[in-house]
Amino acid sequence: MGYEEADLISRCQNGDQVAMKEIFDEYRDKVYRVAYGVVRHREEALDIVQEVFIKLFRTIGNFKGKSSFYTYVYRTAMNTAIDHVRKLKKSTSLSFEDDAERYLSDGPEKRPDQVAMDKELEEKVKEALARLPDDQRAAIIFREVEGLSYEEMAKAMSCSMGTVMSRLHYGRKKLQQLLRGYVKEGGQT
Amino acid sequence: MKDSCSSISKLLEKYFDRETTGDEGILVQDHLRQCAVCQAQLKSMEELRTTLRAPVDEAVQKETFAWVWQKIEREIQDRAKPSWRESIRAWFGLSFPFRRRVWIPAVAVALLIIAIGSPLLFKETPSQTELSIVEYVQSDTHNVMVFESERENVAIIWLFEGTEGESST
Amino acid sequence: MALRRNRRRILYVTGKRAYFIIVAFVLVLAPLWVSTALGQVQTRLRIIEASNVGSSIDPALRDVHDDLGSLFNFTSYKLLKDESLSLTPNRPSEINVHKEVSLEITLTNQQKKKAVYQIRILRQGSEILDTKVRLSPGKTVLIGGPKHGQGSIILAISARF
Repeated sequence: MGYEEADLISRCQNGDQVAMKEIFDEYRDKVYRVAYGVVRHREEALDIVQEVFIKLFRTIGNFKGKSSFYTYVYRTAMNTAIDHVRKLKKSTSLSFEDDAERYLSDGPEKRPDQVAMDKELEEKVKEALARLPDDQRAAIIFREVEGLSYEEMAKAMSCSMGTVMSRLHYGRKKLQQLLRGYVKEGGQT
Repeated sequence: MKDSCSSISKLLEKYFDRETTGDEGILVQDHLRQCAVCQAQLKSMEELRTTLRAPVDEAVQKETFAWVWQKIEREIQDRAKPSWRESIRAWFGLSFPFRRRVWIPAVAVALLIIAIGSPLLFKETPSQTELSIVEYVQSDTHNVMVFESERENVAIIWLFEGTEGESST
Repeated sequence: MALRRNRRRILYVTGKRAYFIIVAFVLVLAPLWVSTALGQVQTRLRIIEASNVGSSIDPALRDVHDDLGSLFNFTSYKLLKDESLSLTPNRPSEINVHKEVSLEITLTNQQKKKAVYQIRILRQGSEILDTKVRLSPGKTVLIGGPKHGQGSIILAISARF
């Protein structure tokens, strides 16, 4: 952890809200990427971002600096996103009309049939991700969406690098099966 | 070709993730030049990654987070309270014992005495739970049985797989 | 005014001396604490395939045959792997059990005659068992159940101090 970040965290631990805003600005994109990567829905992802930062600032006093702060952030983000998905499974699913509107209103250059196809693909991806075990899903999001290294993933998921590779391998295999016909397979045009 | 494919397939994902060593990378590249099957597999992984990543990139690019910080700030402010130290100090109007030069050495000496004295005062006696081998067991996916035999100094943890798991309770 | 100033100065000097004495104590005592704490613990892992096909006992398992025989009803035991692991505290190590199943073992606590391990069994990278066990001299934990061929896998873990 750099000196500046350590100083920021220390200020956060003392309740400095300016420091908290700096941490938020620094990490909000990363947290949103993880959240959106898991839930594939804007409003849900923003709810998760809010929840993650509230949790982080509430518990920042317990952060001792033994691991790096960003793996701490990633771990919190992923756990919160997964918990959110679990809670949603128990209640009714959100309407996708909001998303449809958003898709239709974004970019006048997209044809309606293309928008509809994108929407269908997103739904399929969301379903496929939901069918993965939590740890495989986390590995896929960390690697494919966030681009974390195996070592960073091992720290964020508190497991060995061998386990990281195993989860990635089986996660990718399962996703390729579930998304067959939706994702171009190598060699197809 | 088949034999080299099976040995390369283990490295292919590592190569795709840019986690191979120098030698491993060269091995994979050499193989890829001659193997259409592995090339296709690599392409497949790239397509999957694009499918997973592109919508997220787009979403992040468009997002302004305008109201998110305000909500977080409000939550934090609602929960802000004076620390217990400040509360006690304010109530008793004490200041001297709380000066750093007084309480830091005092606490340090007290901790030292506890650290030296506690092994002598508190000898570890094994409780019944200490004698057991298994501290906890958890499985979200299988039924599990735990058996501890003191005579044999052995503990067994058995995972029931398949139909065994359905029938046992 | 002069008296008060002197009193403050004395307090400051005493505080500084106290720090030095405390630090000296800690430096003197620390090696004692460390030396009484840890010897190196060797973790033994044996991966056994147990089945009811045939009635042979791997010669390498003769020392545990009586235990296995009294605890299980299998007729055949074959030793697939026998490893001695040197584990770094709080760093997980992964061992491949068979094609889809792996074992992740972490030494979480070590005292003179006791070692505590967190053990996770993973199938296709997903956790199917999480357990914490305490091993002292002469104690063994057997974790079994994952299917392998026509039988089941049993992992025998013990610690040597």
